[in-house]
Amino acid sequence: MSRYAKITDNIDWGLLITTFAIIFIGLLCLYSSARVTNPTIFYKQILWVLVGSFVMVLVFIVDYRMLMHSAWPLYAFVVVTLVLVLVIGREISGARRWLSLGPMGIQPSELAKIIVILWMGYWGETKKHIKGYGIRELVVPVFFMVVPVVLILAEPDLGTASIVAFIALIMFLLLGIKHSTLIISSIVFISVMPFAWLSLKEYQRLRILSFFDPSRDPLGSGYHAMQSKIAVGSGGFIGKGFLEGTQTQLRFLPEHHTDFIFSVVAEEWGFMGSALVIVLYLILITKIISMGTKAKDRFGSMLCFGIAGYFTLHIFINIAMAIGIFPVVGVPLPFISYGGSFMLMNLICIGLILNISWRRFIF
Amino acid sequence: MNNNITGPQLDDELRWKAKILTVFVFVLFAVLLFRLMNMQIFKGSYYEGLSRNNRIRIVGISAPRGKILDRNQEVLADNRPAYNLMVMQGDISNIREVSKRLATYLDQDEDEIFEKIDQAKPRPYDPVTIARDISFHQMARVETEIFTLPGISIDATNERDYVFKDLASHTLGFLGEISKKELKKYNQDDYAIGDLIGKAGIEFTCEEKLRGVKGTRVFEVDALGRKIKVLDERPPVPGQDIMLTIDKRLQLIAKDSLRDRAGAVVAIVPDTGEILAMVSSPGYDPNMFLTPMAPEAWKQIIEDPLHPLENRAIRGQYPPGSVFKVGMVYAGLVSKTISPKETVFCPGEYTLGTSTYKCWKPTGHGEVDIMRAISESCDVYFYSLGEKLGIDQISQYASELGFGRPTGIEIRDELGGLVPTKEWKERRFGRPWQSGESIITAIGQGFTLVTPLQVAKSMSALVNGGKLYTPRILASGEANLEKVLDVSRADLDVIKMGLRMVVEGEHGTGRGIQDPMFSIGGKTGTAQVAKGYTSARADESDLPYKYRDHAWFFGFSPVDVPEILVVAVVEHGGHGGSIAAPVVNDVIKGYYFLKGMEDEQIRKDNG
Repeated sequence: MSRYAKITDNIDWGLLITTFAIIFIGLLCLYSSARVTNPTIFYKQILWVLVGSFVMVLVFIVDYRMLMHSAWPLYAFVVVTLVLVLVIGREISGARRWLSLGPMGIQPSELAKIIVILWMGYWGETKKHIKGYGIRELVVPVFFMVVPVVLILAEPDLGTASIVAFIALIMFLLLGIKHSTLIISSIVFISVMPFAWLSLKEYQRLRILSFFDPSRDPLGSGYHAMQSKIAVGSGGFIGKGFLEGTQTQLRFLPEHHTDFIFSVVAEEWGFMGSALVIVLYLILITKIISMGTKAKDRFGSMLCFGIAGYFTLHIFINIAMAIGIFPVVGVPLPFISYGGSFMLMNLICIGLILNISWRRFIF
Repeated sequence: MNNNITGPQLDDELRWKAKILTVFVFVLFAVLLFRLMNMQIFKGSYYEGLSRNNRIRIVGISAPRGKILDRNQEVLADNRPAYNLMVMQGDISNIREVSKRLATYLDQDEDEIFEKIDQAKPRPYDPVTIARDISFHQMARVETEIFTLPGISIDATNERDYVFKDLASHTLGFLGEISKKELKKYNQDDYAIGDLIGKAGIEFTCEEKLRGVKGTRVFEVDALGRKIKVLDERPPVPGQDIMLTIDKRLQLIAKDSLRDRAGAVVAIVPDTGEILAMVSSPGYDPNMFLTPMAPEAWKQIIEDPLHPLENRAIRGQYPPGSVFKVGMVYAGLVSKTISPKETVFCPGEYTLGTSTYKCWKPTGHGEVDIMRAISESCDVYFYSLGEKLGIDQISQYASELGFGRPTGIEIRDELGGLVPTKEWKERRFGRPWQSGESIITAIGQGFTLVTPLQVAKSMSALVNGGKLYTPRILASGEANLEKVLDVSRADLDVIKMGLRMVVEGEHGTGRGIQDPMFSIGGKTGTAQVAKGYTSARADESDLPYKYRDHAWFFGFSPVDVPEILVVAVVEHGGHGGSIAAPVVNDVIKGYYFLKGMEDEQIRKDNG
C-alpha cells in the first residue's frame, strides 16, 4: 500500500463532511441575508472559507505535538496582542477590540480562546496528577488564565472575556480537580460575590444587571432580541423558503449576517432547517469528543475536549440569544456567521482534530 | 518522578470525562430544540402575525435633562415643553416625496430632511428626530396631515432653556445635535441620530450626569405604522441637576460692569478656589444652537472680529503687563534676590549694555523700595530685578505659581498661556535668549501670555497664605490643594502690604477705587499690545482700537483675610488703573452688597 493511500484512509472524512455541510448551509444563509444590503460579503466569506481550508490543511500536516512545545510562545504572543489592542486598537463604540492589519482587522481575543485550550492542555501534560489537582498546583495556571481574561475585560468585552473564562474553567474541570479543592473554591467564590458586588460603582452594577436582564435595555440590544424572536417564530415548521424571509430581508434585523444569522436559518427553513443545523452540530461535537477518548496522548485528548467545549459554548450562546433565552452578547455562530478571523479559527480547530485523529495511527 | 498515567487507567478517566461532556452538550442542545419547537411549531402563527407587517415598535422616551443651578439653587439652564417631529424610516415608502412635503410644512431644506431620513436606514424602526422644537403653527399643520403621512409622528418633549440667555454662556456651554463622529464614539444605546449632546462648557463636562437614561415604550402598530396599543412602558430616568459655585447675581454685576467691552472677569474665593463669577464678553445666547442655525447667522457669529464664542476667561491669552510684577516680587523674595529694605534708584530709565528701557513715569520715581515698587508699579525696579533673576529663575517661579499650564478647571479646551524659557526661544525662533528679554519679561511684557483664570489662581495663592488651589466651578467638588508654596509668612505679608498700597497709597496706581469703607488690595496692569503708541487718555480712545493696551486689574478684599478675589481684563481698554480697576471694584462692592442682603435676611428670619 502506498503512503498516499494510508494518509487518506485514516482521515476522519465524517468530521470533514459534517463541517463542510454546515459551512454550505451558512453560505446559503449569508447569500440570502446579505444579498440586498451588502452582497460583497458573500464572496468575501467564500474567500475566507478557501483561505481557512488551506490553513486547515497546513495545521493538519504539522504534528500537533509541536504545538505542545510552542505553548509558551503562543501564550506570550496572545498576551502581547491583547495588550497591543488596548494601546493601538481601533476604537468602535467605546471599545478597543480590533487590531488593524492593513485593510483587515483581527480580534486577538478570538485567538485567545484557542490558545487558552492549547496552554491548558500543555500544562496538563507536563503536570500529570491522577488524583486531581489541589490548590497549590492550581495557583500558577489560574494566574496565567486570569491575565488574558482581565485584558479582554479591559477592552471592554464582557462577552468574550466570559467565554474565555468559561473555556478555561471547562479545561480545569476536564483535567481534574480534587473534590475538596472544588468545594472550597466554590464556597470562597460564592461568599466573595456579595462583597465584590458592593464594591462596584452604581453604573457598573447597572451594566451587569442589564447584561443579565435583556429587557432592561429594550431599545438597544432588546430591539434585536425582539426582532430575532419574531423572525425565528414566524418561520414556523417548514419556513418561509430560501430568500423569502421578510424579517431578515427587510432589514428589521441588523447584524443578521453575524450575530443573528441563526434567525435567518430559522425564518427561511423553519423548524426543519434549524433542527437540521442543531443535529449537524451535535454530530460534529460528539465526533470531536469521541476523538478525545481515542487520541494517543493526554494532550491530544484535552485539545479535543477543549475544542468541543469551545464550539458548544458558541453554538449554545448564539442560538439561545437568537431565540431570546440569553442576553444579547455578540457571540458568533461557528462556520455560519460572517467573519474572517472567526472562520479561520474554526477551521484551524477542525485541522487540529483531524491531525490528532490521523496521528493516533502512527506509533 | 513517576506519576505518568498510562494504559487502561488513562482510558477509563478519559471515557468518564467524555461521557460527562457529552451529556452536558446534549442537555444544552435539547434546551435549544425544545425552545425552537415551542416557538416555531406551537407559537408559529403568533409570531407570523407579528412579522407580517412587523407590528412591534419600540421607541425611546427622552429623559428630561438635569438642570444647571447656581450656588443659591437659582436655575440657569432649565427645561421647557416642546414638540419634535419624529420619523420612523421603515414606515415610509417614498422618502423623497415625504421629505418634500415636510420641507414645505417646516420651511426647511428638502435635501437635509431627505438625508436625515436616509441616514436612519440601518435601524429602520428606531424613530429619528427630523425637526426639533417646531412652532405650534408647524405642529398644527403636520398634525392635520398626520394620517396621510405614515411613519411621521409628533413627540412632546423637553427643550433646553438657558433662562438668562447670554449671562453665563461660556460657562454653561451649549447643546447641539450629535454628530456622526460622536455617534460612533458613544454607546449606540445612549444616543440616536438627532439627539442633543453637550458640546461645550458644563453641558459638555457633565454630559453623562445631565443626560439621564432614556425610557422606552413598546407598542403595536397597524399596517400604516399607526399606534394601536402600548404593550410595555419603561419611564425615563431624569438627568441629575448640577450645581455650580457661580452666584448668578454676582455674575450679572460682573457682566454689567464690563458692559459691551471685550474682556473677561473672574471672581474666585481665594481660600477654596470656588469660582463665584466668570464672565467672558462679548457673550452669545446658547439657546440659538438648539435648533439648526441659518447659515447666515452662523457666519455672522464665527466671523465676528470679537469672537463671541471664545471663552476669554480660560482661553484668552494676554500679556500680563504689570500684574506679573507681583509674581516677580514673589520670585525676588523667595530666591532672596531682593530684601524689603533694599532700594533701587529710578531716574526714569534703565540701561543695559547699549539699550535703554524706559519707566512708565518719565521723570522717574527716585529711591524706590519694594512697597513703592509695587504700589507705584515702578518699571525700573523690576528691570533691575529681572536682570538679577535671569530668565531661568523668572520662568521657574512663574511656573510655581501655575502659569504656563491650564489651571485644571472643569471646562474643556482651556489654554495654558506661555512662560518663556531659553529652550523655548531656541526652539521657536532658533535664536538664543537675550538678557534684555529677561528685563521686559519682569514687567510682564515680552513673550509671556496668561489667562485671566491663571491670574486668579496664582494671586489667590499669594493672598491666602501660599496655598495654590485648582479653580473649580462644580459645587459638588472639593477644594483641591495643588501645593503649598515654599514662602515665608513675612514675605507674603510684604507682598500683601504692597498690594494694599496700590489702592490705599497716596501714589498707588489703583487709588482711583480707594474707599475708606472697604479694605481692598490689588494690582494694576497695562499690557502693551503695540510698540510706539502712546496716548494721553486713560481709555486711549484716540488710538486705533487694535493698538490700544489691554487693561488689567486684580483686587481682593478684605486685605487681611480675603473672602473674594476678582480679576478683570478689558481688551484694548487702556490703562488698568482707570479702566479695569473700576470693574473689579464693582464686583467686590456687589459681593458685599449681596452678603449684606443675606445677613439682613438671616436677621429677619431669626425674628
